[in-house]
Amino acid sequence: MEQIGMFPLFYFPEIGSAWIMGITGTIHILASHTSVGAALLFAFLAHKAYKEDRPELYEYMKKYGMFLLIFSYVVGSITGPGIWYTATAASPRGISALIHNFVWVWATEWVFFVFEVVGVFALVYFINKIDRKTHLKLTYAFALASVGTLFLIIGIISFMMWPGNDAFYQTGGVSDAFFGLTTFPHLFLRIGFMIMMSGVIGLIIASSLSDKELKNELIRKMGVISFIGGFISVICFMWYITTIPENAKLLLSIYMPQIINTKIVLVIVFSLYFATAILKPSFINRPFAVVMLFVIAIFGLWPGEKLRESIRKPYVVGQYVYSNQIMGRDVPGKNIKNEVDIIEKHGLLKVNVWIPDRLKTITPENKLEVGELLTKISCSNCHSLEPTGKYRPLLKNFVGQDKEMIKSFMQYSLATGAIPYMPKISLPDEEFDAMAAWIESQLPKEK
Amino acid sequence: MDAEILNLLRDPAGLPFYPIVFQGLYILTWAFHALFVFLALGSMGLSIFGGFKQKSDNNWKILTSHMLQTGKISVSLLIVLGVAPLLFTQVIYDPNWYTVNTISGLWVVIFIYTLLVGYSMYYWYYYANKKQSSSSSIIGTISFLLLVFCGLIMHVFSVQVIQPEKWMQWYAPNGVVDTSGTTFNPETIRFLFIIFLSIPVVGLFLQNYGDFLKTNEKFDEKFISFARNIGTKIAILGLVLSLALFASWAYEIDKLADIYSIIIYISFIVLILFAKNLKNSYLTTAALIVLILLISGFREYIRYNLMFDIGYDIYNYPLNIEWSSITMFVLTFVSLGGVGVSFIATMAWKVGKSNGVLDASKDRTITIMANMLLWILSVWCIVYFAWGFFTLFKNSL
Repeated sequence: MEQIGMFPLFYFPEIGSAWIMGITGTIHILASHTSVGAALLFAFLAHKAYKEDRPELYEYMKKYGMFLLIFSYVVGSITGPGIWYTATAASPRGISALIHNFVWVWATEWVFFVFEVVGVFALVYFINKIDRKTHLKLTYAFALASVGTLFLIIGIISFMMWPGNDAFYQTGGVSDAFFGLTTFPHLFLRIGFMIMMSGVIGLIIASSLSDKELKNELIRKMGVISFIGGFISVICFMWYITTIPENAKLLLSIYMPQIINTKIVLVIVFSLYFATAILKPSFINRPFAVVMLFVIAIFGLWPGEKLRESIRKPYVVGQYVYSNQIMGRDVPGKNIKNEVDIIEKHGLLKVNVWIPDRLKTITPENKLEVGELLTKISCSNCHSLEPTGKYRPLLKNFVGQDKEMIKSFMQYSLATGAIPYMPKISLPDEEFDAMAAWIESQLPKEK
Repeated sequence: MDAEILNLLRDPAGLPFYPIVFQGLYILTWAFHALFVFLALGSMGLSIFGGFKQKSDNNWKILTSHMLQTGKISVSLLIVLGVAPLLFTQVIYDPNWYTVNTISGLWVVIFIYTLLVGYSMYYWYYYANKKQSSSSSIIGTISFLLLVFCGLIMHVFSVQVIQPEKWMQWYAPNGVVDTSGTTFNPETIRFLFIIFLSIPVVGLFLQNYGDFLKTNEKFDEKFISFARNIGTKIAILGLVLSLALFASWAYEIDKLADIYSIIIYISFIVLILFAKNLKNSYLTTAALIVLILLISGFREYIRYNLMFDIGYDIYNYPLNIEWSSITMFVLTFVSLGGVGVSFIATMAWKVGKSNGVLDASKDRTITIMANMLLWILSVWCIVYFAWGFFTLFKNSL
């Protein structure tokens, strides 16, 4: 009998394993975008300090550099592999697909990382230990290398959304996967955000300087830099959403009304913040600047990353790996076969090698247990399963329904692939029946 | 898990290059990752010890702050160097790696956040020690224990991946599926052996440190011989302990008289003699690197043979060779890796040797490398965009 190479399931209660990755990812993006943006800013300041012979800027750079080192490199270098680890636990076949496509791209990025990690220490600790001309060259090289890491990772994360054309599916080539339709808009969107973040961090550092004249000058500059970065980011976001696939556009149209007001408020608040920095630099103090950083992280980044994760559904990679580990289409260039039909033919219990023997056949005694397991395997990557679940709680969607209604939904919507943002999963009648029975058993009972 | 299932779990896309290359790169990069793990833990442990001594002894005061700095940079390097073996192992042993990552999923999450807290506390420790704060030893000890705990979690992953016969039992004990990701099965002796290698590594590092500072006027001869003598004592003690632990581990896995084990025993003995007698400590460090490479190879030797015996052979993994990205990697590795890292390493070496500000612009080697590096990075960016636009137009028109 045909079987499919699914892995065991890890489920994090209440939140769902995929959201653990989302949380780690948000922390990483805050740190990594700050670090690349800061590397660009560092090069700009070093250039200014050298050309205009302004030694006081080196002191600022030293302070900024320590922050860069501690915050962005410690947090960024750990949460970077952290995303990878948590994504592996949540979507092992998704990560495997990425690794087996892009291993050499990642290895190339690793070369940049090694240079960056030794470079960042040299950059900060050598400020007063080597001549300024050589130090300037080091800052240029560091900035280029930092942007290089973005150039490399962007192709991979853009591919997670989709390649944007049929070439990759036919050739399986890395170039066709990496340089997809969304890659460049996504790249410039993130560059804009990085520039803005470097200014936001720069404002925290500048606002703590004691030299008033220098402080005001730098706050103004950081305001301008942040403004430019934010502007690029907003424009490129609009460009980016024109390049995403139809299922993502549909999801975006569902989520948009919820997020649009927050986005507009954020754009206004930050425009005012940056305008204040430019026009009234003395109004900016350190606690205020720190609060604004957290505002970006909590109200800007987290919803943004959540949205990016959400609109990719039902896939996690390249519009062919479903979020529940099943291959959703043929990819001839990679010898990948659509597994939906195999599951339809034999049932998930028979084709998944991790089902214990005692659960392979449904009996009245094990029906609920099997139903729970099948629901976890099929749904838990996107939905939390507890009645009190925090993210996309599954049970909430079935409140008031009985087993037959739940089963009908599965047979007529899930099995036919009628909902574009849900994986097509067609199971034999008894497996859907077990799932529906378990879901019904978990619903609050009407009194 | 039998061979049929293990092969089924392989990625259907196949390998983008020859498996032996990934295997070789795994051995090489794990060795360098491990070297910095040992140096980080060793120097951190020594700095905690020094923290108690530094109040009454100026030599310990200098050494403690330098050990802290060494640990700080080493943790950064061990993290970045650890990414490479992680990458290569999941290319060729993907059934093993992904299974263990899911059945121990909760430990994966704990690992990341423990590392984050542990390393952040290290910085706290660093600044507390700088200010001579009385709490610095406690902060340092907690940070140290957290980082050792991270090592333990990684060790658990490494030993669980080579026990496919137990995976089903761990995932579904008595046929009841457990999706909590809490599987955790360490092997004490193997873990102790690996972690104890931190002792000889920091000892040998202290010998290098003493030799490096010889030409620096800021450090007197007394301090240098103090550092070197401590290094020699720690190195010899650590090597003897590590040898005993290695033999115990080899006994436990029935490899006590294996030819590979014998080569490692001999290497330990040679290294003990070098540590004791060689005046040029850089040669001893070269021998240490060889030993760590051998240990890395030994780990892979065990894994390969275990998997081969079950019927999983990485050498028959289907191939789907990908030339464009390997070309990018090789060219970047040689150009940016070679020139970039050499540039910074040369500069760091010369800064360490100089007594004031180093005018590197008058140093021909550094200047040539700096200029080359900027050219390499600029050309790299141009090629990236040219390649990208060409592909995009080709596929869109």
